[in-house]
Amino acid sequence: MDRRTFLKTTGIGSVAFAAGCNAHPEKHLYTLVRAPEDMVTGEATWYATTCRECPAGCGVLAKNREGRVVKLEGNPLHPVNQGKLCARGQAALQGLYHPDRLTQPRLKVDGRWEEISFNQAADLIRGRAAQAAAKGDGRVALLSEVVGDNLLALFGETLSAWRGQVPVIFEPLAYEGLKAAYAQAFGQAMLPGHRLEQADFILSFGADFLETWLSPVEYSRKFKAMHALADGRKGFFAHVGPYQSLTAANADQWLMCRPGGEAALALGLMQVLLGKGPGKELPVPFRAALNELTDSYRPAEVARRSGVAEADFQKLLHRLRASKRPLVLPTAAAGQGAASAAADLASVLLNALLDPTLARLDFDQRHRVETAGSRSEIHAFWQALAQGPAELLLLNQVNPLYSLPADDAVATAMARKELFKVVFARSLDETAAAADLIVPVGHSLETWDAYESKRNLVSTLQPVLGKINAAPGIGDFFLSLGGAREGRTLADYRAYLSRRLADQYDLRTESDWLRMIQNGGRFSAGQADRMTASRFDHAPVKALADLVERAQSADARKNLLQVNSSLRFYDGRNADHPWLAELPDSITQVAWQTVAMVHSATMTANGWSDGQRLQVATAHGQVELPAYGYAGMHPSLVMIAMGQGHTHMGRYAQNLGINPLILLGAATDAGGALPDYSAEITRLASDGGRMALASVSGSRDQYKRRIALAARLGEPVAVASGEGLTLNDFPLTLPLPEGYAPHRDIYPAHEHEQYRWGMAVDLDRCIGCEACVAGCYAENNVGVVGQTQIVKGREMAWIRIERYEDPENPSRLIFLPMLCQHCDNAPCESVCPVYAPHHSKEGLNNQVYNRCIGTRFCAQNCPYKVRRFNWFEWQWPAPLNQQLNPDVTVRTKGVMEKCSFCIQRIKAAHNQAKNEQRAIRDGEVTPACAQTCPTDALLFGNLMDPNSALRKKIDDPRAYQILGYLNTKPAVIYLKKVVQSI
Amino acid sequence: MEILITTLSVLGLLATAILIGTRGRPQRLFSQGAESLGRIWDNRGPLFWVMACVLLALGFLFYFYASPATRIGAAQPIPFSHQLHAGVKAIDCRFCHSYVARSIHPGLPPVEKCLYCHKYIIANHPEILKEHNYFNTDTPTPWVKVFYVPEHVMFNHQRHIRKEIACESCHGEVKQTERLKGKRFKMGFCIQCHREKKANLDCWLACHN
Repeated sequence: MDRRTFLKTTGIGSVAFAAGCNAHPEKHLYTLVRAPEDMVTGEATWYATTCRECPAGCGVLAKNREGRVVKLEGNPLHPVNQGKLCARGQAALQGLYHPDRLTQPRLKVDGRWEEISFNQAADLIRGRAAQAAAKGDGRVALLSEVVGDNLLALFGETLSAWRGQVPVIFEPLAYEGLKAAYAQAFGQAMLPGHRLEQADFILSFGADFLETWLSPVEYSRKFKAMHALADGRKGFFAHVGPYQSLTAANADQWLMCRPGGEAALALGLMQVLLGKGPGKELPVPFRAALNELTDSYRPAEVARRSGVAEADFQKLLHRLRASKRPLVLPTAAAGQGAASAAADLASVLLNALLDPTLARLDFDQRHRVETAGSRSEIHAFWQALAQGPAELLLLNQVNPLYSLPADDAVATAMARKELFKVVFARSLDETAAAADLIVPVGHSLETWDAYESKRNLVSTLQPVLGKINAAPGIGDFFLSLGGAREGRTLADYRAYLSRRLADQYDLRTESDWLRMIQNGGRFSAGQADRMTASRFDHAPVKALADLVERAQSADARKNLLQVNSSLRFYDGRNADHPWLAELPDSITQVAWQTVAMVHSATMTANGWSDGQRLQVATAHGQVELPAYGYAGMHPSLVMIAMGQGHTHMGRYAQNLGINPLILLGAATDAGGALPDYSAEITRLASDGGRMALASVSGSRDQYKRRIALAARLGEPVAVASGEGLTLNDFPLTLPLPEGYAPHRDIYPAHEHEQYRWGMAVDLDRCIGCEACVAGCYAENNVGVVGQTQIVKGREMAWIRIERYEDPENPSRLIFLPMLCQHCDNAPCESVCPVYAPHHSKEGLNNQVYNRCIGTRFCAQNCPYKVRRFNWFEWQWPAPLNQQLNPDVTVRTKGVMEKCSFCIQRIKAAHNQAKNEQRAIRDGEVTPACAQTCPTDALLFGNLMDPNSALRKKIDDPRAYQILGYLNTKPAVIYLKKVVQSI
Repeated sequence: MEILITTLSVLGLLATAILIGTRGRPQRLFSQGAESLGRIWDNRGPLFWVMACVLLALGFLFYFYASPATRIGAAQPIPFSHQLHAGVKAIDCRFCHSYVARSIHPGLPPVEKCLYCHKYIIANHPEILKEHNYFNTDTPTPWVKVFYVPEHVMFNHQRHIRKEIACESCHGEVKQTERLKGKRFKMGFCIQCHREKKANLDCWLACHN
């Protein structure tokens, strides 16, 4: 290089460096035109509303800052979720601010989209409806997701004005088997609540109640109410199923059965229990019929049919009979047709045998999803559309072309030219793409509504921010169509709703209405209809016998594909939320991708390893996806989670992962009404290629390091001698002066003033649901890096759920939330050449972004791998950037970042305390992760306060510090998981 | 300032010319006056260039340090005068920046608030008509930001007001300034005061997060 080139290069380099370092702060300050009374700039305003990401209907509080919603938290008053929220609920904001949200109605003209106005769209629908109504009855049809009674009434009124059909509710996961079981036993198809918290023994036949089943946040809380260690005791949870789902991984004992073998086990249990215990009060004909049916299910036979070892069966039976308050749960949300339905019905009957009063079933608090039509009804609906005279089809936020890909009737109906298909949607999903007219509608966070989460509980929705585009609420749009009787004189849906709610709940004054809206609903809305008479005669037993027989025909299947509902994407409706894609699956630790979970033995036998490219084919289709070896499943199974593989749905869902639903057969099984989420695999092979897994996990094995620890129930916990620091014997060294000892420490203790923040993580309570991770992404402006960066190991999560095998029993998984440990002896602090990590006077390990020059020495020296480097400037395409928390900075390229213990919340508490001239109270500061944890596994507090809840929590022999032998003195104290065996 | 600079420069030029004319001995101006003036004339070429350079330098100096624009801030969409409102009319800061004692942000007055008075006071002034226009068309006023803190810094107004730190100690003599000149605050400015007042010096707990 000559001198001239050198000068040029350095010149350009320094100019580029100077230009690149220039942040571009906002140059303007915008004033409001009129000041709303409830908005103070810099202060948050909270609005109560309801989460509509799944049919559970949790109450949420939306945090509004300067007119935009930046965070969702559970509504503490709401009985369903009691202040907690799952990962999907946290990510609802990304549906609201999705950059690919539709803003204008689109009409398909000659196969191309043309934007039209909302008035034109309404005129078009009105015109079509009038034409259809003129020709006869039943020519207008509507299919909707689960909605509240009021919106459903509006749909009904509008359609009846057009002489249309009755609106049909479609949910891909509609619990047909369980509903049918209750219909058999109680004469009514319903989905009662389960009082998990009152049980001392839970036997589940696959219900994934910590993931998607009915109401996961509620059941996570209730489960830990019975299952957390209290007074040296805890309830027992046994899970019977062909695979170890996240829920099964949280069971004390997972009993692997043959796919479809659950019913046999239940029948075996009934066979023994009949005539013994409380069940003998049941009617004689019922018992006689059941006796006849179960007669052949002797233990040896049960072992053969279910695939559960006889010894395990006996132990299970023993536990069940010893328990005082047992509760049996049915099968998973995504079932296996008749086999699951048989197990569902058997579980209902087993509950009756164990406790004829059914005290742990709540027939008042029935789940809203019970209003959804069964798969056979949905199939009939589409078949009628495919053939029938219907001319106008309205689809409200359903995606049947994704959820029911193998149902020919859907495809035929959607392709029928005479049928004018109108889709009300927020994004251009598969069904919207096939429609004739798309009408964008407001997000549930932008609209007024009411949703009956449970049968006698109404949860209200209100707009928690102004509209971010012109899309009207679905209710407003329907009122503008003018069909509704009551709505003819009303300007908007809010008026319609308030009038109806006032009638239903006796709201006499405006303040009654306001109180209801402020609380987020009416949670003690009386009118509890009593449990209908039970029908314990031979009918349910006969139905069970039929189901068992039908299920046996499917037994011949050898290699089985099982599709399960996803913790992250539910049934696929949330797949376009980037946080959910970025969260790794708790079990596989793979983000962004869909993997085929194959049994480890199969993997070894074929010489495959994780990331092997597999071709999985059934009679209905073939997919290609990476393999993931997993020992927690029946060897004949291959498991693929549903939710991804969209062909449309915007930039964060399209062409990511694969959709296993295309591998499944038609919507109904041979016998009728039951969806079957399994199919026989015709080909399972690899072409030898490999796919890079976007995995964030190093290993399932702890390599003898003391990371995720467990203690056995009833046995004394080994307490460290405190002598030295060895791999197996190290004391709890609190990050306080008392944690320092001359023989361990060179440096003196830090002097903290009044506060030393710390956290207790109770591994016995952590279920690995990832809600904390999503909450952290929302609170702390953590960047979404995408699949390619995760493959390179550049994920940004400040808290993650690690899953390790218990060294004593590798089939047991331990979930461990890992976040910055805020060590007192922090290894990161001592290696930074510019002092960017700094020890705070309140014990926090500060990362000063302005100082950081990006050497990454700190990340190298951190034994917990919690420091994250900004390799790029992560993008929040508008309007996703409106979600950013204004109290937290957005870090730029080239700096290191990590968990701050939600310093903005600590500062807010300081601010409040200083205003009131007092100290911060115990429990006043709750970081976002601890706030949303459905099981209260995380507890934040002041270690210097000897009376704090935190100090009491860690005053437990289970307390330990991860890698404590490194003498880092972490402020995050873990409590060992408490395990028991059947 | 500008008078000082101009005077010094003119005197400097005069002195240079005299020194050249008298060959370094200024007293000769009186003893050999005509000769000196002739010599100045002979050197008019170089002198012109010297003067041009000095004038250019003067212009730069003036532009950077003494022009009126350096004492007032960026042009705002409406030429709002802090001097008039806060100084002459003695309107309390908190009338417009009403959240300053209860929030991290002081708050800017909504357009509506300006019109509380200006509906009646000089309502038809062309600049006030702009304000009416913002109100009638529901447009937020795009005020130009003048005070900047460095990135990753969170400043809390409430805490400083509660500690009775006067607005002027950071924002300067607002009451005497027509258009706020603004400032890019540097860490030293904050630290100095935090040290003096024994305030929080912790990185995150005080400022950065």
